[in-house]
Amino acid sequence: MSKNLVNLNVNPCKMCMPMGSVSAFYGIKKCMTILHGSQGCATYIRRHMATHYNEPVDIASSSLTEEGTVFGGEKNLIKGLETLIKLYEPEVIGVSTTCLAETIGEDLKRMIKDFNETHPDYKGKIIHVSTAGYAGTQYEGFFQALRAIVEQVEMKPEKHDGINVITGMISPADTRFLKSVFDSMRLDVVLLPDLSENLDGVHQPVYNRLPQHGTSVEDISKMAGARYTIELSTFIENEKSPGYYLEKTYGVPLIRLNLPVGLRDTDAFLEALTKTGAKVPKALIQSRGRYLDAMVDSHKYNAEGRAAIFGEPDFVYSMTQLCIENGLMSTVAATGAKCSALEDKIKTGIAEVGQFMFNDHFVIAQDTDFDHIEQFVADTKANVMIGSSDGRRIEEKMGVPLVRCAFPIHDHIGGQRVRMLGYEGSIDLLDRVTNTLLTLKESSYRETLYDKYYDETRKAPELKLVVGGKMSIEEKTKKHPCFNGCGTGYARIHLPIAPACNIQCNYCVRKYDCPNESRPGVTTQTLSPEEAYKKYVYVKEKMPNLTVVGIAGPGDALANYEKTRETLQLIHAYDPDVTFCISTNGLMLPQYANELVELGVSHVTVTLNAVDPRIGKDIYQYIDYMGTRYTGEIGASILLANQLAGIKMLTEKGLIVKVNTVVLKGINDAHIGAVVEKAKELGCEITNLMQMIPVKGSVFENMPLTSNKEIMEIRKQNSAILKQMYHCKQCRADAVGTLDNDESFSLEAESEAWKTQVTTIDVLSEKVSDTPVKPALPLFAVASKGGILVDQHFGHASDFYIYEYEGGTVRFKERRSVSKYCDGSESCDGNGGGKNVKMDQILEAVQDCVCVVAMRIGEAPKRKLMEKGVKVMMTYGRIEEVVDEAARAFRSERAI
Amino acid sequence: MKVKELVLNQYSGRVYKNRKDHIIEVEEGIDPVQPITANTRALPGIMTNRGCCYAGCKGVVLGPVKDVLTITHGPIGCGFYSWGTRRNKANVESGENFIQYCFSTDMQESDIVFGGEKKLRQAIDEAMSMFSPKGIFICSTCPVGLIGDDIHAVAAEAEEKYGITCVAFSCEGYKGVSQSGGHHIANNGLMRRVIGTGDKEINSKFKVNLLGEYNIGGDGWETERILKRIGYDVVSIFTGDGSFEDISNAHKADLNLVMCHRSINYIAEMMHTKYGTDWLKVNFIGIESTVQTLRDIAKFFDDPELYARTEEVIADELASIEEERAYYRTKLSGKTAALYVGGSRAHHYQSLLADFGVSTVLAGYEFAHRDDYEGRQVLDGLKEDADSKNIESITVEADPEKYRVFLTKERYEKLKNEIPLESYNGMIRDMKTGSYVVDDLNHFETEEFVRLLEPDIFFSGVKDKYVVQKAGVLSKQLHSYDYSGPYSGFNGSIIFARDLVMGLYTPAWNYVTPPWKNQSTLQAALAAGGEM
Repeated sequence: MSKNLVNLNVNPCKMCMPMGSVSAFYGIKKCMTILHGSQGCATYIRRHMATHYNEPVDIASSSLTEEGTVFGGEKNLIKGLETLIKLYEPEVIGVSTTCLAETIGEDLKRMIKDFNETHPDYKGKIIHVSTAGYAGTQYEGFFQALRAIVEQVEMKPEKHDGINVITGMISPADTRFLKSVFDSMRLDVVLLPDLSENLDGVHQPVYNRLPQHGTSVEDISKMAGARYTIELSTFIENEKSPGYYLEKTYGVPLIRLNLPVGLRDTDAFLEALTKTGAKVPKALIQSRGRYLDAMVDSHKYNAEGRAAIFGEPDFVYSMTQLCIENGLMSTVAATGAKCSALEDKIKTGIAEVGQFMFNDHFVIAQDTDFDHIEQFVADTKANVMIGSSDGRRIEEKMGVPLVRCAFPIHDHIGGQRVRMLGYEGSIDLLDRVTNTLLTLKESSYRETLYDKYYDETRKAPELKLVVGGKMSIEEKTKKHPCFNGCGTGYARIHLPIAPACNIQCNYCVRKYDCPNESRPGVTTQTLSPEEAYKKYVYVKEKMPNLTVVGIAGPGDALANYEKTRETLQLIHAYDPDVTFCISTNGLMLPQYANELVELGVSHVTVTLNAVDPRIGKDIYQYIDYMGTRYTGEIGASILLANQLAGIKMLTEKGLIVKVNTVVLKGINDAHIGAVVEKAKELGCEITNLMQMIPVKGSVFENMPLTSNKEIMEIRKQNSAILKQMYHCKQCRADAVGTLDNDESFSLEAESEAWKTQVTTIDVLSEKVSDTPVKPALPLFAVASKGGILVDQHFGHASDFYIYEYEGGTVRFKERRSVSKYCDGSESCDGNGGGKNVKMDQILEAVQDCVCVVAMRIGEAPKRKLMEKGVKVMMTYGRIEEVVDEAARAFRSERAI
Repeated sequence: MKVKELVLNQYSGRVYKNRKDHIIEVEEGIDPVQPITANTRALPGIMTNRGCCYAGCKGVVLGPVKDVLTITHGPIGCGFYSWGTRRNKANVESGENFIQYCFSTDMQESDIVFGGEKKLRQAIDEAMSMFSPKGIFICSTCPVGLIGDDIHAVAAEAEEKYGITCVAFSCEGYKGVSQSGGHHIANNGLMRRVIGTGDKEINSKFKVNLLGEYNIGGDGWETERILKRIGYDVVSIFTGDGSFEDISNAHKADLNLVMCHRSINYIAEMMHTKYGTDWLKVNFIGIESTVQTLRDIAKFFDDPELYARTEEVIADELASIEEERAYYRTKLSGKTAALYVGGSRAHHYQSLLADFGVSTVLAGYEFAHRDDYEGRQVLDGLKEDADSKNIESITVEADPEKYRVFLTKERYEKLKNEIPLESYNGMIRDMKTGSYVVDDLNHFETEEFVRLLEPDIFFSGVKDKYVVQKAGVLSKQLHSYDYSGPYSGFNGSIIFARDLVMGLYTPAWNYVTPPWKNQSTLQAALAAGGEM
């Protein structure tokens, strides 16, 4: 996700630097802070902190006015300091700048120096820090203040036995935990900062307006002589790191650690403390054991989690690590700060969990906002969110529960008491997450189960057809599986009546179907218009939810215009309510656009790979137009001009136009945005950005693959411009059924039936093309997610891709959908009858194959397959290569 | 020594000099009332509770307009901090609603150096493509004015490009002395660009606008309910649960009802000049004041049926809350309160408290002007200082087509003496002798006054809430209502009373002194031979 594309931050996942700075100063003993700028900054920040901590928060302001912006703010700052000193008698004053002070260029260092000289009576320490609101988030502001503190407090470099521990913004309760660890290990520690009491005070009869607790200047001055520093942040840059400064200036060795969250990082923290020679107390060892016990207790529930984590980098890292450690897939890890290091540090861990959870869909984002996070939550189907209360809007909108555990928490109380550090803190937080998942499960368990297995009416609620009457385009769009956004419920039939094509794409091999609209590497038997009509009537009777007739090749619908027209006319006479949908490369579109409208076509897909002929010339080898073959940029220009003019004609007539674009690495992948923009400008409804699947023998045979993830990224980026199609299955040119359930294969077997049974119209004199009788070829069933790689567990595959092998050639035959018999959830832990029934189904689906190729397969199904004489191969790789390899391996055993 | 001196004497000479005229003890029978210093700069470092110009413009007045997309042009903080924090509720069921959103250009260092207009322009493009709102407001923050981004030009371009209404508000935080300047800037923009642009046919009788009602905790809904029940047509509400279209048609109303005088009196005045719409100071906070207000409005329209209907509704509403009102009065009567809130609320709530027998010992405004304290009578004598001059004051003229007068001259003159028509008498006149009025009460003074006056309840906001609670005094937020409300009208008054009773009688206060600190308990326990 590149933030540079976005100029509007919609629902920010970050605050400004001064917020962090004043929070840090709250951990200093007898310290008051003054913000140099407009008084609104102090007011807003106090309001936010008070609501989170449920404590008084006093931050002064130099209350700059318009006059100050002209003449400088020094006068106001001096007055502010004087008043603050008189009323509060602080021993330390933190002066933080704001956008205003930084923009007018206030020289704080000089002003404070002058102030000290003109106010010799004041014995306290004034620390200034530059925190423009535009220079970073509260995360950087916090460390910037700590850095200023160690730089400006006079240090005493005499060596001593103590150590320094520096933290980012952690809760007062967690700070108290750290202090209790130091106490129990009898360690002499300077903890910077120490928010434990000042932002979570006790109720007492006399309230002291000056914070009485926190790290004292005296303690801070000893930091230069410590044995070493532990800094609990691994993301903050050197120039903002107080520990780094102490190391460079005073030679205090720096150990940078992650926050002690979870087993691994708490262990590391304790180990770092034992470098002093101290022993880890028994109580902590006990709680480690208890955490381990808790991990085991709750792993079953955690495994169902898909967490969306957002917040400051250290928090996101540690929370993600806690999830990873507990087998909980973190599908979204997002920070509003700019932090490119985050992805590298957590990617592998999440991917590893994903590997055994069979979920490779996760997002790591920096410099992002909640508008994006919401999208990520939806895309990755996250079922729990972990972070600040700012996620509550997503919780409300999408029903994904939110565990509030990071600053700020505004709609719940107890922000100051949230625990996450140490073994016990980890258990606390983990339990909250686990219980949220359990609550979610319990509240939806029966409904989910019922919907999934028992409620037939819910499965296909839209089966009823509107009989008679004229459906509007909107209604037709709703019933079109490619356009209604979810692909479910309604069925379509692709009638392969258009064999010829008038252009040559570099990713296409002529002997196969057009890769723009159908499965690459597939050869479809073409039909005559009459056959197509018969097939339609036959299927329609068997499949009442059939609402869409598509002409998708195998060549180009308009290069075979006569056949297309005849087919549509025949079907329209039989079923006036059917939705006609055609796909084309657009070359002949201007010529036929008006006629298509008259034929009742409501949906058209145009494959538009480039809107610049200089790019187009690398995609198209040639075009055949009006009897002449054009190549290079000229050919691409003609094609483009016709595509654009044609689309415009259609959208002006109110037709729904979808643009298909094949993403070609190194050719048009940087140009996709322009194509989508153009599509939008032309009034198209949606774009379908597709993977280029290399076909052996094509010019682009060796082009690198665009991964699923990359294509999703590209779609997401472009979704800001125009609606994207996320559910394209790249169907065959003779596909029948719903998108999820292609029944073309079973229909093939019944071809005789529809060819002979349907006799409602006179068959014209043209001869029905006979299906040549071919010897059965050996079939290979491949478990694959997208039809490119063998990358699915046998039990997790919802589809099997069936490949034929003939004399050294591997050819895709069809996709078979099977009900998953192991869906990774509650139904999968027993040996109930249901499971066996489903397993039988799956076995049936592949039993005519000689071999099943899957990434992994369980012992029981493997045995059953072997019993049925089906070989099993476990591997990972490109389908064609793997099948080829499998075929060779089994050649000796079977006659292939 | 008087309480006032006890507090002031702790200040340095300079601070003393500044603060002494912001605090008055109400004396008997002085007319005109004692003058108070207000709407002047807060002392730097004093821990004022005031906000900034941006907060008043975007946060208070513009923020609640639900179907306009408001972009904060500036670094991220300001947008974030004004995001959904005022509990101005909006009905989300119908139409567009951006209340849940925060839009910011999130300016970075390079934008400060090279200017942010381009980013703003692109942000508008993105907002249009993603949300396609009917209107966009742009609110600027401190750096924008300093680096000289011309947000008004960008707004004009956007209007041209998209054919929407796009209004820019130069409400940089440093302008003026408090959020009050922001109210004025927002008022000017709405007056110039939105009000009067609508052409909806409205044929109903008794058309009113509700001005200065931001629907905190649903206050506006309760008020609207009562008005509608009587038969008024509420054309628009400024701006709680307000919509662009309603506001654009506000000039079609016969009467403006002004709730928060401070934040919206500019629009009331300007509409009076430009469209002839009269305005009436109303108060729907409090049972008696709601009754009074309803009778005042009826008088304006002077319709026999309306009078009857008004009395009918009042009788029915009073009857429905009578039992609870009597009960809560027994629990609250005799308590004392201090209020420090807003530019009108500290006045409004005194009548609601009086309904339940609670007397006010101290009241103060955060960002009010002298007229809110002393009445509009002082306006003529007010001198503009440098800070108020920085806030643009616009003048309008009668609109030749849309100007119309509802009252005859005679009727107007007569009513002027009977109802608060185009007038507001301020808070001080309604306060008891011996009570305190404090302008721009700061954190230090809060503590001191609470200690010296010992009110049972302190009404303020979240910033001082916890200080007061630490002192063992009930604190009640009147900015956000502590997640409660509505407090307006008849039903609201009961919710308010219940919240007070709940707060005063919660068991927690009984445990403030632990038993082992309590001598008699300890002795009794020992005497009884109990285990400690």
